Amino acid sequence: MLTDPALLLQVLWTGTVTASSYVLLTVGFSLTQKVTGLWNFAQAGFMGIAFYAMYFALNHLGLPLLLAFPFACACTIIAALVTEAWGLNVLRARHSSHLTFFIFTLIVAEFIIYWLTLLFGTEPQTLFKSIMSPVHIVWEIAITDWDLVAIGMTAVFVAALAGFLRWTKDGQFLVAVADNAKLAELYGISARRAYYVTAVIAALFITGAMYLVGTRGGITPNKPLELILNAVIATLLGGMGRVFMGALASVVLALIQSYSVLIMSSRWQNLLLYGFLFVAIVIFPRGIHFPKWRKRPVVPAAVPPGG
Amino acid sequence: MSTILRTEGLYKAFGGIVVADNINVTINAGEILGLIGPNGAGKTSLFDLISGVIKPDAGRIFLGAEQIDAQALYRRARTGIARTWQNMLLFRSMSVMENLLIAPRHYPGESIFGLVLASGRVRAAEHAARERALSILARMDLSAAAEVMVTDLPFGHQKLIGLARTLMNDGALLLLDEPMAGVEGTVYETMQRVVREEAASGRAVCVVEHNISFIKDLCTTAVFMAQGKIMESGSVDKLLASKVLTELYFGV
Amino acid sequence: MEYFLTIIVMIAIFIILAASYNLVIGYGGLATVAHPIFYALGAYTSALLAIHQGWHPIICVLAGVLVAGVASILLALSALRVSGDYLLISSLGFQLGLLQVIRNFEFTGGAGGLSGIPSTIIGAARTPMFLVICGGLAILTVMFIAWIVRGPYGRAITAMRDEELAFSTLGRNAMSMKVAIFALGCGIAGMAGGLYAYYFQYVSPDQFDILQTVAILTMVVVGGMGTTIGPVIGAVILIAVPQAITFLNLPPNVMAPLQGIIFTTLVLVVMFLRPTGLVGGRSLTSSH
Repeated sequence: MLTDPALLLQVLWTGTVTASSYVLLTVGFSLTQKVTGLWNFAQAGFMGIAFYAMYFALNHLGLPLLLAFPFACACTIIAALVTEAWGLNVLRARHSSHLTFFIFTLIVAEFIIYWLTLLFGTEPQTLFKSIMSPVHIVWEIAITDWDLVAIGMTAVFVAALAGFLRWTKDGQFLVAVADNAKLAELYGISARRAYYVTAVIAALFITGAMYLVGTRGGITPNKPLELILNAVIATLLGGMGRVFMGALASVVLALIQSYSVLIMSSRWQNLLLYGFLFVAIVIFPRGIHFPKWRKRPVVPAAVPPGG
Repeated sequence: MSTILRTEGLYKAFGGIVVADNINVTINAGEILGLIGPNGAGKTSLFDLISGVIKPDAGRIFLGAEQIDAQALYRRARTGIARTWQNMLLFRSMSVMENLLIAPRHYPGESIFGLVLASGRVRAAEHAARERALSILARMDLSAAAEVMVTDLPFGHQKLIGLARTLMNDGALLLLDEPMAGVEGTVYETMQRVVREEAASGRAVCVVEHNISFIKDLCTTAVFMAQGKIMESGSVDKLLASKVLTELYFGV
Repeated sequence: MEYFLTIIVMIAIFIILAASYNLVIGYGGLATVAHPIFYALGAYTSALLAIHQGWHPIICVLAGVLVAGVASILLALSALRVSGDYLLISSLGFQLGLLQVIRNFEFTGGAGGLSGIPSTIIGAARTPMFLVICGGLAILTVMFIAWIVRGPYGRAITAMRDEELAFSTLGRNAMSMKVAIFALGCGIAGMAGGLYAYYFQYVSPDQFDILQTVAILTMVVVGGMGTTIGPVIGAVILIAVPQAITFLNLPPNVMAPLQGIIFTTLVLVVMFLRPTGLVGGRSLTSSH
């Protein structure tokens, strides 16, 4: 049974597709980590805002998806920018430590989550009344409309980001600031602007991801804390600063989790995930590197300090 | 005259840059060796190798009879090496006295077990360290500064405290990295006097300096380094008369 | 009255947690977020030993301390190998991973938790007795930590924080000092866990998750890091203030998030208006 190709192919398809929302979340998280150097746990809060804004717009305001989605994007972007401007920038000006940033972002996430719990309760909600979507059978694999939307959305978002980073000025500035913020400032690149741009991009990716997650299963205010964990692990495994490797890592993780269902009970899936986190931290603290991809060592141009 | 420090064929490279190339140095008890050369010559790197901040790629280091190149950084002080730093690295949150109290080689009070189980010994060690610190401060005419925060001291006095900190370690080797940079007048003289006293009491001293008159006044022998290699070594007068040195040093 | 006394027991337990956490991050300068897991290890170890072995409570609690201490040494050794900053994210992973293990094993009661921890004191005097024990241990903990950081050990810790390179070159082993402080702090957290297990007679993974970290962390930061009285003030305020609204008789599904909102707002306000904490400790800057 385990070697039934149709089954394996199905798991491959479903696993990859399930990974789509994780890819989007990981990219947002990893990009933020790359450019700002922060593990921005406040994004768990933004995820909640994205979902519940859409939920509210669709179910309480009665707006169509075409309006609800941009509405949610706007809400999330505002939250992200406010956190940047009034929170993170202040901490940066004070030269606060990593611990302070960690506390702050986590408290912001919790603050938001508590508000959402107060307003929306702890019952799981989905964006639409039904999570069923039409199924098509292609080469013995079941493919749903949701699958196609997920894959399509993820592909478009990721490609757009890649193009943005490569070909637009702002995108290149992001990379410069990620590399060396102080040096970039010397060349007239505003690190602050880069942080704002990153926040906006992350907010968009988060909203997209929450649409996918919210049309597939029930969401509670606490769910984003679980989701962000996936993003953290994938970012670690992909290597800090390597956004697209992080995206790949989240796909691989999702696939491993999907395939693992075939050989172990699903309640161990979470444990498997944490097992990977352990491995990432203890054995691959700098991410998984493939030897042949490592750049040739750069000869230092500067003379070592002192005599 | 016993040999305190001996290096054999020390070699260290970072990336493409060789900071120590076949370095053979000997320092005897009572000797004050001057280490001179242009910036980037590898002088501080040599100190880093001897004190254990970096490990050599090849070569050996002996302190007395003991081979120490494989020893961890924190063990070397206990073996008897004390050094100062170009940026002083004084402990900013503490007073002068506290900076000195943390410097002796042996410190039963700095472990939780010691604190809990051997409080008598801790008290005695604390008392002894305090006495020693006060006598060192007296030698430098800085007794009044004992309870002052180190960051409140003028620059010259801070440098003296850096030196005082090394004197709390009663080991055999003293490495001074540009102790004279930025000081003059009484501080200069005090430093000279104290270093001479230490050498006279049997310590081996090695000084990195750009200040030629300091080298002339104080050092007995000198080594000239450039680009990680020892160019010349011998008595101070011989080195200062050498053409190689004037070319390489002043040509830079 | 009973409820009120229980709050004070909780404050005492959190004072122990905050003070020991302050030792690790405020004095030792080690950025870790894994404190609750050592609290959990202490609680679960004591609980399991009490349930299955029936040993004397003091032995069970001490076993909890030992398990927490040993686990912390393992974490510190593997994380500090990489760098001090790395301890932050690896302690997060360690905490979450171990919690997940606890959630998934029948042996530890799974997600539903472990109940049936045997009673130690029975009768009307129970809560007051626990109050005396926990309160007494809280005072002892604060005093012990204050004593340690006063003398030569405190001096060494400060020097290590100020200039680790000079510190090492003076002959001090920075790594072993960090591990020792970490183990001491986490061991004390394990003791707090044991007290918790015996008082509430029920432990579950939810009581030790990431939200607890933030609670303990904020107590230290709000009170004032690197001070003796700071964590005490932090613990008192951050437990008492959210509890104050319980007298308003709101429905539970409003009460719980509202308490959370009060808590997080309080932390944010203090963080931004008084970054060194209410008592004015060290501020968390990256200059170290």
